Amino acid sequence: MHLHPRTALGAAAALLAATAISACGSSSTTTHAAAPAATSASPATTGTASTAATASAASSATNVPGADLHANHGAGKGPTLLVYSAQGYDINTVKAFSAATGVPTELVDDSTGPLLARIQAEKADPQWGLLWVDGATAFASLDQQGLLRKGLQVPPLNAAGEKVVPSDHSFVPTGITMGCTAIYNAKLLPNPPKTWAGLLSASLKGKVGMNDPAVSGPTYPCVAGIMQMMGGVSAGESYLKKLKANGLHVSQTNGDTLHLLTTGQIALGLIQSSAAIGAAATTPGLKVDFLPDLTVLPSAIGVDAKAPAAVQAEAQKFISYVLSPAGQHQMQTGDPTGDSLYWPVAPNTAPKSELPAFSSLSSQTINPYTWGAREAAINGWFTNNIAQ
Amino acid sequence: MSVLTPARRRVGSLRIPRVRPRLGLSTVMFTVLAVLVIVPIGAFLLVSVSPRLFVQGHQWFTLEYFGQAFSGASLASLSRTALVGVGSALLAVTCGLPLALLVHRTNVIGRRLWSVGIWALLLSPSYLVAIGWERLFEPAGVLDHAGPLLTSVATFGRGPLYGPVGIILVDGLKGVPFAYLAVSAALPGLGSSFEHAARAHGAGRLGALRVVLPIIAPAIWTALAIVFAETISDYGVATTLGYDSQYFLATYALYNAVYSIPLSFPLAASIGCTLVGLAGIALFAQRRALNGRAYRVLSGRTRPCSRHQFRPLGQVVAVGVVVVFFLIALGVPIVGAVSASLLTNDGSIFGGSGLTLHYYAEVLRDGALTAPLLYSLKLSLICAAVVMVLSVPVARLLTRQNTGPVGRVLDLVLLGAVALPSLVMAAGYILIYNLPLMHSLGLALYGTTFLLTLAYIAGALPNNSRILVGPLAQLDDGLLTSARTHGASGPVAWARVALPVLSRYVVWVWLYCFAGTFFELPISEFLYPPGKFPLSVMINKELSNYHYSEGSAMEVLSVLGALVIVGVVLALYRLLAPRGWRQVGAAQS
Repeated sequence: MHLHPRTALGAAAALLAATAISACGSSSTTTHAAAPAATSASPATTGTASTAATASAASSATNVPGADLHANHGAGKGPTLLVYSAQGYDINTVKAFSAATGVPTELVDDSTGPLLARIQAEKADPQWGLLWVDGATAFASLDQQGLLRKGLQVPPLNAAGEKVVPSDHSFVPTGITMGCTAIYNAKLLPNPPKTWAGLLSASLKGKVGMNDPAVSGPTYPCVAGIMQMMGGVSAGESYLKKLKANGLHVSQTNGDTLHLLTTGQIALGLIQSSAAIGAAATTPGLKVDFLPDLTVLPSAIGVDAKAPAAVQAEAQKFISYVLSPAGQHQMQTGDPTGDSLYWPVAPNTAPKSELPAFSSLSSQTINPYTWGAREAAINGWFTNNIAQ
Repeated sequence: MSVLTPARRRVGSLRIPRVRPRLGLSTVMFTVLAVLVIVPIGAFLLVSVSPRLFVQGHQWFTLEYFGQAFSGASLASLSRTALVGVGSALLAVTCGLPLALLVHRTNVIGRRLWSVGIWALLLSPSYLVAIGWERLFEPAGVLDHAGPLLTSVATFGRGPLYGPVGIILVDGLKGVPFAYLAVSAALPGLGSSFEHAARAHGAGRLGALRVVLPIIAPAIWTALAIVFAETISDYGVATTLGYDSQYFLATYALYNAVYSIPLSFPLAASIGCTLVGLAGIALFAQRRALNGRAYRVLSGRTRPCSRHQFRPLGQVVAVGVVVVFFLIALGVPIVGAVSASLLTNDGSIFGGSGLTLHYYAEVLRDGALTAPLLYSLKLSLICAAVVMVLSVPVARLLTRQNTGPVGRVLDLVLLGAVALPSLVMAAGYILIYNLPLMHSLGLALYGTTFLLTLAYIAGALPNNSRILVGPLAQLDDGLLTSARTHGASGPVAWARVALPVLSRYVVWVWLYCFAGTFFELPISEFLYPPGKFPLSVMINKELSNYHYSEGSAMEVLSVLGALVIVGVVLALYRLLAPRGWRQVGAAQS
């Protein structure tokens, strides 16, 4: 069958018009992604199962052109709470929160870097309601720029949680992981080192790896923690230089370091505890070791200082929900081999069975404001002296 | 702005020009490009000197960030980027030109298969290609486990791979489809008559080649420019092989400025300006090389050329060359995909490693891919349709003679847009379309599917228009004039004369735009509406939540799905397009 050119042109024009109408229609007629549901969300049992929830939610999301995102009203129940989150368990938690409280909530899920970049780009007219990511230094940076609402109500926390609440209550911890947890290849390294000095031994030459703090957000607190533990920036730099001289491999992310480990290119990697414990649970032969004075790496929530009061109130509700037993259940089941492997800061909540008791670990906290201010300089130094 | 153009009125048997106002093509297209491309990119780049304009700092005017971009590590990364861009462009054209000639002008066996191979290479994300190479050559990698001989190969090749040579190799191979498409688009003008004329006047094979190759010079330069611009804006190779080689490129520095604390949009914008500057240099070189010459060889007198018939030995050599090329260009990324998605335990050394389809089954079973895939599919179809229509007039503007400084600026803007990572476009869209002014004007588009679609179109239009520059540059205006002389109006003349000539390349534009949009990440990340996950964002979420195998399986399934659509569209074109359309430029067997 052959088309006459005019017919073909007409068909092309019709296709174009149809698709354009479709585009407009798609953005104006759908309903809220996480609008309150009739039944509460059932906890996902696997990480990929949780993405199915996303897919389902995504298929019915709302976008109203010509309207401020905060002003999007969900069935007359108040303004939409826009959650920016990098947590593996955020999809099911947001959905469950909306179902439990009736607050219309929408989610933008991404890695920490792109989320912070989005917030930066939105500065002229912020759209986000709350930010939920790992690492107190990121929140300290936002707080110092005046982007966070101070004086948040902090629900009751356990002792570990209380330690990481900032004095101005500009963010609230929701769980704890550890930076620079050692994960090792038991085949290559049957007797892993028990001290930081042990990583400098000749037997580990060329066999240790870690992430680049300039790329991997959760690695900066680890580097800052090493410096604090060693007695200051200079002493920390000296230690890291020795590690480099001993053949330290620097990768960009946890995944890259784990790949070096599983393929035998290194014998021990220093990564975030949730990634380490998850990898050890799924990959035979990998084991986790906790060196002394590990740096506490809290996940936390901060609220947009410029958000309307009603949105801030909804964000406060979200914080309370997340630290409630129902919220903790969502967090602990949403990403079972990843971010769900955290130590709870909510009182009377036990960590998942894969984790040792928090009290059995030797840990330290860093001041996010002090060390956050040094982040650019230290990352630059690391890039020029350790990564290269 | 309106342009006065002559129309015609009939007086007796004479046609007398009548002047009436008409909105010129240039005006319309400049307006479209301004809204879609120039203003958002310009806004972001403006932040480099005036951060306060968009609340990105306290200075109204500063050159501090340009100082940073032109010093130390940033300057070094810029020079590395230029080197990689030039090397990759040369490599891509060196491979793409003979490949296009073999497929379109010879009877080499498996021509359709090789065409599919080119599309597969085009669809392969650059980071996957780079990872494939690393998986082969890394210490304890695939080659190290494949016997002493291949271990020696890995040991020998590892040094060059982790450095500029390897990066140019990977970027160059990834650029081959661009070169192939650009050159293929020009081949209709390369009729056998030119070669025969040269031979008749005593030229040998080399002499005939010297006559013939300049005819497709615009396409070759277009290919060089596109591959150069695509390479210097590529992030996939920069963040994998580039980082692992500690050979930092400008795009890596730009992304770091945007994504790492402390975020610095002004520094990223300054680095972006340097990339536009590099594109400008490439454009200047292209213009100097072509020296304003016209290459309009595709006219009513163009005759189909014949395919070169290989003898058996020649056939074996030709097929061997093509097979080796695809083994290297496609086989390696396939290794990357296999090692990432088909091996249990990430191919660990613990003895538990083996082939499995578990991750594919899991992805298909829980349906995680369905909604994002359909969402991205819909937007890709829309974007491809719009870009297909817009790219023709834009390319027409680019190929017009005597456009003066405006044309040159347009050329620079479009190539500059290709040379900039799409992250710049995305950030620019937020800066402009999230301004309170836009909200008060009732244009609060940020956070909507509509704005995401606009950004996709803006991101795809510049490089897709360039694909059409080659064939349009060869289209003799005499063809259109003849049609007008015979009474056809402008649009009808275009539909009856130019469209048949361009139809194949317009379909290619649709396919390329579709594929590019389907997997686009930076624009999607910045602009996707809350709750509506595009495919690339969903895959990225899987990967960053440590579900590497599931994420890779999603990626492979998506590439396969996109390939099916590409195949269907090509088949439909073959089935539905008039035979005459398909035979324009086709060689006779």
